[in-house]
Amino acid sequence: MRLLQTQKVTKYFGGLCALKEVSFNLEQGEVMGLIGPNGAGKTTLINIISGAFHPSQGKVVYHGRDISRLKAHQINVLGIARTFQVVRIFKRLTVLENVLTAMVDRSKEGPWKLVWGSFFKRVCAFKQDPEACATAEGLLASVGLLRYRDEQAENLPYAMAKRLEIARALATRPKLLLLDEPSSGLNPAEQNEQIKIIRQINEQGVTILIIEHVMKVIMDISHRLIVLHYGEKIAEGTPKEVYSDPLVVEAYLGGEAHA
Amino acid sequence: MTGGSKKLLWAFGAALALALPWLISDRYIQHLLVTSLIFVIFASSWNLLTGYAGQFNLGHAAFFGIGAYASALLALKLGVPPWIGLFLGGLLAAAAGFLLGIPSLRLSGPYLAITTIGFAEILRLVAMNWVQLTRGSLGLYGIPPLPGFWGLEFTSELTFYYVALAGAALALFCFRRLTRSEFGLSLQALREDEPGAESIGVDTNRFKLTVFTISAFFGGFSGALLAHYQRLISPDLLSLHETFQALTMTIIGGLGTLTGPVVGAVLLTFLSEGLRFVEDAVKIDVRLIIYGALLIVTILFMRGGIVGLWERLSAGRGRDQEEG
Repeated sequence: MRLLQTQKVTKYFGGLCALKEVSFNLEQGEVMGLIGPNGAGKTTLINIISGAFHPSQGKVVYHGRDISRLKAHQINVLGIARTFQVVRIFKRLTVLENVLTAMVDRSKEGPWKLVWGSFFKRVCAFKQDPEACATAEGLLASVGLLRYRDEQAENLPYAMAKRLEIARALATRPKLLLLDEPSSGLNPAEQNEQIKIIRQINEQGVTILIIEHVMKVIMDISHRLIVLHYGEKIAEGTPKEVYSDPLVVEAYLGGEAHA
Repeated sequence: MTGGSKKLLWAFGAALALALPWLISDRYIQHLLVTSLIFVIFASSWNLLTGYAGQFNLGHAAFFGIGAYASALLALKLGVPPWIGLFLGGLLAAAAGFLLGIPSLRLSGPYLAITTIGFAEILRLVAMNWVQLTRGSLGLYGIPPLPGFWGLEFTSELTFYYVALAGAALALFCFRRLTRSEFGLSLQALREDEPGAESIGVDTNRFKLTVFTISAFFGGFSGALLAHYQRLISPDLLSLHETFQALTMTIIGGLGTLTGPVVGAVLLTFLSEGLRFVEDAVKIDVRLIIYGALLIVTILFMRGGIVGLWERLSAGRGRDQEEG
């Protein structure tokens, strides 16, 4: 089943064309890798799908619905969550609080309803809700962060902060997860751990679109790849097909040794 | 601290707060206690907006002034009972808070700060120049006191102390609930990282408007309390100086903590009165100099303010005991 489709998505920043008529389909349950040299427009594409930007032309269709004019928080509520290239965790909240904040059902609970809930809910102080805490702890355990539960997020080592961002995204119960370089800055052992975590998430039925520069990671976990170059899609296919595509070799790997 | 000793501390604090004006019969000190309590509410309301939600508002005096003028004018011109005026003053300030929240949807940090200063300044100029209504810089006087009941009168420092105490307790109860709930977590998410908050479904625009409205309500409420206590108000209530009072109290006490503004408000109210005597002696405005110095020292060396320092010290002691 088709989960997401971009139709000729184009994005201009002033005169600069960051994306040019990019179209692709994302099937439910797959892991799609998004690669390309620096400045190819990968993050721009994720920003557009997640609603941080709106496309200049073209559409993003999710579950048969055009979402290209929706705002980021609305898109999250529809079931698309993301992580960021540079981590954007809530530094002065604890690890548990980061996840708890993301677990609130935003489709039902607007700010005034939450204000009301502060006074008249069965469990007013969110941290004392055993059910919510158990769910959050389960999520933390799945990314190996349970022992940092009550640590301030700003004290986490970089690799753990990246995992917290994944746990926070998962806490919104997404159907589609957009990962923007989840392994950048990690050492090889941490990268392997990251691969394991991403694979587990996918096995639980979450569709994944992942940007990654670390070849080992992307070749390992992607079912299919698309390659962007100067804002244009130049190739699409299984990792094997893409890897041997002469266009890709020329554009992405150039004349230099393989990464 | 264990749960039991914490409860004991609370009970002791509550008993002290209730008995305090009886222990100190000096009316001047009682007056300072009332002023502190009003500033506890005012500073805490600023703290909710700036300390928790990260919206840098330097126009908070606008809410203070709107609450005070609204309640005073309603009582003077329309004969609205002051008890109702307290809440109407808060509601009018809340409406202004909603309006001031609108620029925050597009501006943040210093840009929002400048815009909010402008908002309060405009209101101050209106209060100065709309002489028929506000009597300009002469201010409003003869504001009726809160009507008494059950044989109680709220015209003395002693009795008004309990009104202010009840108001502060109510406000702090609300702030405690609001900040410890999912609402409070969402506000802090907004403060920490706006795109991050959006990415987990937080409608940051609506949260900003909501927190501006709530914060302004309590700001207005504290202003209205002050109006019916002093029974004389002037456009100075709308000046940047009042905002800086809230800011200094909150930062020195502990920004983004519930107890910070309480500690800061009491401390600085008494400190500034103490310094008044020094000023009379040396004929220099030393109060503001000392305020400024305290603020700089806190920001540079004591992030988290007095409350943060206290928590670090007691955490350190706990660790020592565990290790020892």
